[in-house]
Amino acid sequence: MLKVAKYLLPALVAGFAFSASAADYPSRPMEFIAPAGAGGGWDTTIRAVAKVLSDTGLVKVPMPVTNKPGGGGGVNLAYMTQKAKSDTIVSVYSPPLLLINLSGTTPLSYKNTTPLARLISDYEAFAVKADSPYKDLNDVIEALKKDPGSVSIGGTSAAGSMDHLAFVQVAKAAGVNDIKKLNYISYQDGSSLAQLLGGHLDILSTGITELLGQLKSGDIRVLCYTAPKPVAGREGIPTCREAGVPVDFLNWRGLFGTEKMPEAAVKYWRDTLGKMVQTKEWADARAQYGWDDSYLDGPEFEKFLEQSNEEYKGMLSELGMLAAQ
Amino acid sequence: MIEILQNLAYGFTICLTPENLLYVTLGGAVGTVIGMLPGLGPATGVAVLLPMTYFMGPTGALITMCGIYYGAMFGGSRASILLNTPGDGAAVAACFDGYPMARNGKAESALAISAIASFIGGLIGAVIFVFAAVYVARFALRFGPGEYFALMIFALVATASLSRGNLLRGLVSTAMGLMVSTIGLDGLTGVDRYTFGFLELMGGLDFLIVIIGFYALVEVYKCANPKTVTRQVQTKFGPIWITKEEWRRCLMPILRQAPIGFLIGVLPGAGGTMASMMAYSNEKQLSKTPEAFGKGEIVGLAAPESANNACSIGALIPMLTLGIPGSGVTAVMMGALLMLGLQPGPTLFQDHPDIVWGLTASMFVGNIICAIINLPLASLLVRVLSVPGRILYPSVLGLAYLGIYAISDSAFDFYPLILFGLLGLVLDFLDIPTSPFILAAIVGNMMETNFRRALKMSGGDMGVFVNSSISIVLYLLTIIILLLPLYRSWRARHTTVPSAV
Repeated sequence: MLKVAKYLLPALVAGFAFSASAADYPSRPMEFIAPAGAGGGWDTTIRAVAKVLSDTGLVKVPMPVTNKPGGGGGVNLAYMTQKAKSDTIVSVYSPPLLLINLSGTTPLSYKNTTPLARLISDYEAFAVKADSPYKDLNDVIEALKKDPGSVSIGGTSAAGSMDHLAFVQVAKAAGVNDIKKLNYISYQDGSSLAQLLGGHLDILSTGITELLGQLKSGDIRVLCYTAPKPVAGREGIPTCREAGVPVDFLNWRGLFGTEKMPEAAVKYWRDTLGKMVQTKEWADARAQYGWDDSYLDGPEFEKFLEQSNEEYKGMLSELGMLAAQ
Repeated sequence: MIEILQNLAYGFTICLTPENLLYVTLGGAVGTVIGMLPGLGPATGVAVLLPMTYFMGPTGALITMCGIYYGAMFGGSRASILLNTPGDGAAVAACFDGYPMARNGKAESALAISAIASFIGGLIGAVIFVFAAVYVARFALRFGPGEYFALMIFALVATASLSRGNLLRGLVSTAMGLMVSTIGLDGLTGVDRYTFGFLELMGGLDFLIVIIGFYALVEVYKCANPKTVTRQVQTKFGPIWITKEEWRRCLMPILRQAPIGFLIGVLPGAGGTMASMMAYSNEKQLSKTPEAFGKGEIVGLAAPESANNACSIGALIPMLTLGIPGSGVTAVMMGALLMLGLQPGPTLFQDHPDIVWGLTASMFVGNIICAIINLPLASLLVRVLSVPGRILYPSVLGLAYLGIYAISDSAFDFYPLILFGLLGLVLDFLDIPTSPFILAAIVGNMMETNFRRALKMSGGDMGVFVNSSISIVLYLLTIIILLLPLYRSWRARHTTVPSAV
């Protein structure tokens, strides 16, 4: 008995002292954070990840999800910065992580995190009512070239955020000048699709997965969606490239650790997420939500973020919405 | 017609399997408890229980989630009646007369009528859902920004006019509420307003902070003044039921407010707070004894409870028939449906009749079960009134803080909470009603954005506000509400003066 204790005790002590670096990481429950309320894209994504990780047995410790809404994700960013050395915090983000910094909402940026992996992408789609006079993207562009303010464009996010920028990017690439004059109307209360169906809006810019029910019933048409190449299950809808405007806009979602997350923990999560994206369970979850696979490992993800950040910066500055850096 | 009834009968065969019956009961019980706790709304409840629903299959999962939802609507007003601490926005109107009733020693009647009105309102909602879901959904689409704005104006004026003879005080309260609603990021321009650099304020102040500050905190602050402590500890309790006379008076208000509540529920974004407040003000306008409202008038409790539950059923319509989640709860439910491989939207009724009709039948079953759970539960809860103040008030305070912390997992919200508690005390002292403030704080942002959206779409032409029959009717109703008190006082003068001579 004593003998056992003699070996066990140091092992236990060591286990506690090096919990982050030892092979048995993670030994404590994780703290998964959705930086917004229940029911949104961030919340759905991180809950799906937690479920797949525990169903497949890739992660053995509990991964309860906390919702930390506020500041468009900025409140959680501040929290993560406060606990910069934590090895248990993993949070989900998407393009607003860059946008809240560029628009001056928070001085913190993606540089105050450790990108672990980019997992999925949703794409922006531009939809019109079935009986709209706009038959294709080109009709809209022509109307905008004549008068940039003549088409009302609704979106589910605030001005200067994703739905706005996606449309601006396409319009700009198609040769519409004066993008500042585009008539973008934000519907953060979630009523935008009803407004489109009721004929109060000309075009709706939003994630394509939000539109699937109406697409199926034929109440709306999607002029194009912003994927780099056609996505399975979206047959019959042109990508914006196919519609003649060479623009991609990824509404990516990825996971992030804190800025100074211990090396071993970063490695563990990069490896684990790399394994997770290859499982059938993850493929099923993606199929159910209509998410496209867009996995990138941490370091490449960081490069991608740098590049996106520059692109957004350009657009926001043209819209006059870039904060003084 | 026959086809609908056949479908419904089919729905009952699905819903009444022992398994699904168990799920809806479970959901109802959990929902009732969640609804009673301030800060924990049905959205959080459904989200937390989401993983549990995966193994139930789509129908079972949806029925469980709806059970939680119905239960929360039943439970929400319990704390309003007993402690003056509403669990969510929809339960605020239950404080107006529910709490005075409890203080007058009529807690049993209050709890009973609240459950009964909720039950009937829910049933009426379910009946409308069965026969008119698709038509109602199409009608709701006619609400553009201009119509929304007219609806908000109507709701605000109706609530402000609650303070009869004191319309000015009501409007002052409304104006202050509107000011609070401008805090946060302005979606149309992406500019921060009145956030003073606090990230936490960017999303605006959660209206629960205002509500809990104005009700729970004010209640506790007031009792700190030894002169005003008049709370009687009730030790004897009767059965949870109502008298025939009370039933006779409440029946009509319950029946007529349910359809209105239902319609408000169908409009994305409007929600239970508006439904219950409008029901309350409608009944006060219609009442022969409006001065009794706010002092423990049972009709003033029955009407909003009925409207609120009908509203919660109406809110399912845009999600199920159009694939548009109009509230936090329905957004979570829609996420769950997607996870289960279903696509909510116009085709859901054709593709998955079993789920749709099973769910519809569960509205009837769920409401019955929630009523059955709630009546005996109420006889337990009512005993909270026998707790002496020195124990009760600190507990209310604890519950209030816990609820606020639960909203966003942050202690920041405590500061505005305390501030609103103090403001509530000042308003109480000045005899300014707080309900217009609360409604304005909730709908103000929507009203403002819809005003600006309408102008943005029309290119600045004000005609956009009166170019539809819906708007015109709403404005006419608003004018009637404003003129009604004047007319009544005019008539009172002209009828009483001659008789005095």
